[in-house]
Amino acid sequence: MQLQQLAQVIRSKNAGPRRLTLDVMFASDGDYRQAAQSPALSPARIAALYRVAPENVAVMPYPLGRAIKITLARPIMSGDPGDRDVYGAQQHTPLLEIEL
Amino acid sequence: MSASGRVLEELRRHPRPIRLLGASGQLGYGIPTPAFTGGLARQPDLIGCDMGSIDIGPAYLGSGEMATAPAATRRDLRKALLGARQLDIPLVIGSAGSAGAAPHLEATLAILRDIARAEGLTFRMGVLRADISRALLKDALRSGKIVGLDGMPALTEDEVDAASHIVGQMGTQPFRRALAADIDVLVAGRACDTAIFAALPTMLDFPTGLAMHMAKIIECASLCCVPGGRDSILATLDHDGFDLESMAPQRSATPVSVAAHSLYEQADPYTVQEPEGRLDLAAATYRAIDDRRTRVSGARWLPSTDPAIKLEGARSIGERAILLAGAADPRFIAQHRNILPAVADVVRELVCEDTPQDYTLSFRVYGVDGVRMAAPEQEAPPGEVFVLGEVIAPSRERAAEVMRTTKQYLLHHGYAGRLATAGNLAFPFTPPEISTGPAWRFNVFHLLRTADPDALFPLEVETVRG
Repeated sequence: MQLQQLAQVIRSKNAGPRRLTLDVMFASDGDYRQAAQSPALSPARIAALYRVAPENVAVMPYPLGRAIKITLARPIMSGDPGDRDVYGAQQHTPLLEIEL
Repeated sequence: MSASGRVLEELRRHPRPIRLLGASGQLGYGIPTPAFTGGLARQPDLIGCDMGSIDIGPAYLGSGEMATAPAATRRDLRKALLGARQLDIPLVIGSAGSAGAAPHLEATLAILRDIARAEGLTFRMGVLRADISRALLKDALRSGKIVGLDGMPALTEDEVDAASHIVGQMGTQPFRRALAADIDVLVAGRACDTAIFAALPTMLDFPTGLAMHMAKIIECASLCCVPGGRDSILATLDHDGFDLESMAPQRSATPVSVAAHSLYEQADPYTVQEPEGRLDLAAATYRAIDDRRTRVSGARWLPSTDPAIKLEGARSIGERAILLAGAADPRFIAQHRNILPAVADVVRELVCEDTPQDYTLSFRVYGVDGVRMAAPEQEAPPGEVFVLGEVIAPSRERAAEVMRTTKQYLLHHGYAGRLATAGNLAFPFTPPEISTGPAWRFNVFHLLRTADPDALFPLEVETVRG
């Protein structure tokens, strides 16, 4: 199953100008647990998808919000020359088709 | 007595839960009237509005311009000011004018004074400035008290001089100092959004952890609800927790929606770092009161022994000109990765004939990889692409020269297998090259360690006469 078939929200945004934070949120505790247990959301796999070093990726389960938070270093600081997404709001798409 | 003095005295004399109205998380983009009016009817003790963020990029901090339209900003400020004066409660505005530096603060104050004149309002206004002096920063640099945030390179004295504005993000203590000065309206430059709502309750000895957690949620108005939105939200804080209720009947604050809000624009859902300490949400609990209201408790506050202020600064890096063009020819699209650098070479030979290269020229190809930071290398080619050309050069004239030359040579560049020899680009209008003014970048995003962060943010109090 793809992540986009299970999740209720898949979004990205800046967490400060040098980091990107990705939130994956679920409608039920069961859906959350299924995703949280999947190796597909490991820091190494996320790092490969976003082409950043694994040490620059953090994956944090947040059961209270039925959510998984992923934070990674932006390759280009928000608004610097070459940036493509100042707010970081369109960087979630690599997550959509992750096979759990 | 002014509003802050009156509310503090009332609550000290007759302790009870305190009610705070989060009117807007982005003042200047519209405050929906029905929910705001509904909030006023609940007799809040304070109205708070956040006006700014670093998420909008470096241009506003650099240029001194507001991100919001003047007319919309005025409409929102008028609504909030009239509401607060009607109830005689403090109005607290943080990160004035989008980026919270001197020009943003002055523009916000000018609008407020103008509204006061038009409405015949007289009130005491506290103003907290957030600009940090270059001399202080250079001293701090030399004594090693400034460190980069999230991998930001070390700050230099040259960068301090190059920044057009440098602000510190003040915490709650300056807000407490201002509210203690018996004022009706508080306008702060760059500030933590929590300070707007946490200052007054912590002056009344409500637990700091709860006040900070509440503030962190209601500074975004009803964004913590399902469906989330910008309608006003009411928080009622006591010594054991706080209740959240959107003032828009269609929005519900549910335990999951409120808990999930801790994720928003935060790197870590369990921790909020503030200048004066750290908010720990690991033990926070969220309980439904009914289907529209949630009660929150459990947040802990850990005061810092090593206070630090976040610094933000932006500098100009030249003048920008852009090119807007589309293309639909499949041969052009298939070869664009070769065509664009080839055109850049041709342009360089022409415009640098008698001078060294003093500009950067880049392209974003929408439909291919214009948006994604890590687009897959193998994808089916799109039927159309949009080409955004960008030049950053030392002067407006130079940027325009490079962009116009680029436009012409990209339009007519001959590439292998070309059939469409009359032109490679579709322009949506002319001129397709536009000078957009200075380009900015954040060159300060650092922490300043200081034993006395409160002293960085001076307070002025003025009587505004209508």
